[in-house]
Amino acid sequence: MRRVIFAIVTTASALVFLLSFKTHSTPAAVASPPSASASPTPGATPAATASAAAASPAASSASSGSAATAAKTVTGAVAQTIYGPIQVKITVRNGKVTAADAFEYPNNDPRDAQINSYAIPALNQEAISAGSAQIDSVSGATYTSQGYISSLQSALDKAGR
Amino acid sequence: MTTATPHRNPLSAGVPRAPSRPAVRAGPRAVLAVIGAGVLATVTLWWYGTPQVDPGLGDWLTNAGRVTGLWAGYAMVVLVALMARLPPIERGVGADRLARWHAMGGRYAVGLIVAHALLITWGYAVTAHTNVVSQSGALLLNYPDVLMATVAGLLLVGVGVSSARAARRRLRYETWYYLHFYTYLAIALAFSHQFADGAEFMTNLPARIVWGTMYATVAAAIAWYRFVTPARQALRHQLRVLAVHPEAPGVVSVMIGGRHLGELGAESGQFFRWRFLARGLWWTSSPYSLSAPPGPDGLRITVKALGGHSRALAALRPGTRVVAEGPYGALTATVRRRRKVALIAGGVGITPLRALFQSLPASPGDLTLIYRVGATRDAVFRRELEQLASDREARLWFVTGHRADLGGDPLTAASLTKRIPGLARHDVYVCGPQGMTAAVTRELLAAGVKRRHIHVESFEF
Repeated sequence: MRRVIFAIVTTASALVFLLSFKTHSTPAAVASPPSASASPTPGATPAATASAAAASPAASSASSGSAATAAKTVTGAVAQTIYGPIQVKITVRNGKVTAADAFEYPNNDPRDAQINSYAIPALNQEAISAGSAQIDSVSGATYTSQGYISSLQSALDKAGR
Repeated sequence: MTTATPHRNPLSAGVPRAPSRPAVRAGPRAVLAVIGAGVLATVTLWWYGTPQVDPGLGDWLTNAGRVTGLWAGYAMVVLVALMARLPPIERGVGADRLARWHAMGGRYAVGLIVAHALLITWGYAVTAHTNVVSQSGALLLNYPDVLMATVAGLLLVGVGVSSARAARRRLRYETWYYLHFYTYLAIALAFSHQFADGAEFMTNLPARIVWGTMYATVAAAIAWYRFVTPARQALRHQLRVLAVHPEAPGVVSVMIGGRHLGELGAESGQFFRWRFLARGLWWTSSPYSLSAPPGPDGLRITVKALGGHSRALAALRPGTRVVAEGPYGALTATVRRRRKVALIAGGVGITPLRALFQSLPASPGDLTLIYRVGATRDAVFRRELEQLASDREARLWFVTGHRADLGGDPLTAASLTKRIPGLARHDVYVCGPQGMTAAVTRELLAAGVKRRHIHVESFEF
């Protein structure tokens, strides 16, 4: 019995010890190969100044209606995360973000699919409410959040906001 | 085909001889160090495969689940490797200690597997903001190979329960033995989910190669040492029962003959795992020590009727084919370091010591045998031992009587020191049931014998 308790206590302490060394609240920067995916499309597009995003400015601006109420849809740069690329598309009307959506995100294995099935909607909602890239990470989806934020920033920059 | 010649006096058979080639030994410390290094390697794998752990319950649980999963996957390999009959480990660690490590490690591994499943399910559920039940459903249905791994986990829990001490008394040895084969199935079922779902392996090809090689190596060792080698030995040596002799109430000796027995390299103090190809016996193999020094024309084992298997041996017919796996066991002349030797036997633990009592090189007066047995009539080899003692001018003590009648354990540090002059300058070989060997070891240490001069083999079941 003493041995059983010893084994449990030792294992649990080892786990806590290990995990506490790996726990950081400020995540490391997203890996970003800057040039690899850079394929600038012809046309005047604002340069993406997003901090970490890979610059692939595929901004497809579309306008409809009168100039005053022009709704612009802007696509952000692809952000590479360790789980895969993320790309965000926003709609801006009268200088306000009316829609945000990540149309590309890691979805290769069930774990990614499960996490992103709640993280992406949450991030979309945050982006609309904030109207900026100053949004919180979704817990449990740090890397997705980082990639999202960086692609979102690039889209906002392109939209001239 | 060997003619069945009754071998009543095996005393003539044994001549002390050195083993044919120096045997490689891996001592307990070396083996534990290798196992420990493997644990560190799995931790390193997790460390480099995990960029960071987010503060918060979900990620903590998930990562604790990953680490316990890696440990469990590693533990299964170690547990199987301990039972792979690898000759250096069998010799250096001893089959009895290996079996104890395996039993202890097995319980621990089952604990790790259960912890892994619970932590991952809970951690994923917390991260995904869902409940444990629907998360379990998602894991079983959407995650590749998790369903198979869950079946494997349940099998292993079942094997663990069947091995638990309490259950083992209620189960027949043979049932327990065969339930254990489900571990191979479980390991096979659980293997693929490690690569399909394991965060440390999915994107890390070198890790998959190393991990896969580790599993393949142990599988090859099992196949080679537990299946191919015994089959080859059986063909080469053609072992058969020569004769069966009763020794004492419920104790029989079995003489076994065959061809090229010298090539086996067996030594006094060692044992084989024997499989008698007779009705009701062929499907199980049991470890029995050689009770006389192995000679070119015969091996002798002596067995006490403890279970169904050992009782059936009394009815063996001469000529019955035998398959022997071995030799195993570290309790041989090679571990001896000192001139004077004391042998302390408890009950049927006399068998290997009886062989050593005959074959250990010793000058008159250098060899002592203490034989602890419940009642005088249970003492086996009584006449043989007395004959050997007088031939070799060795001391022989029978310590009889039950503890209750004697008012305590008779083999205390004080009594041993009195019976064996200069005890602290002896190598001491101890063989008997585990409780007895543990108690005697304690007393020997108290009497000033160094641990490295105490050589123990115990048996349970």
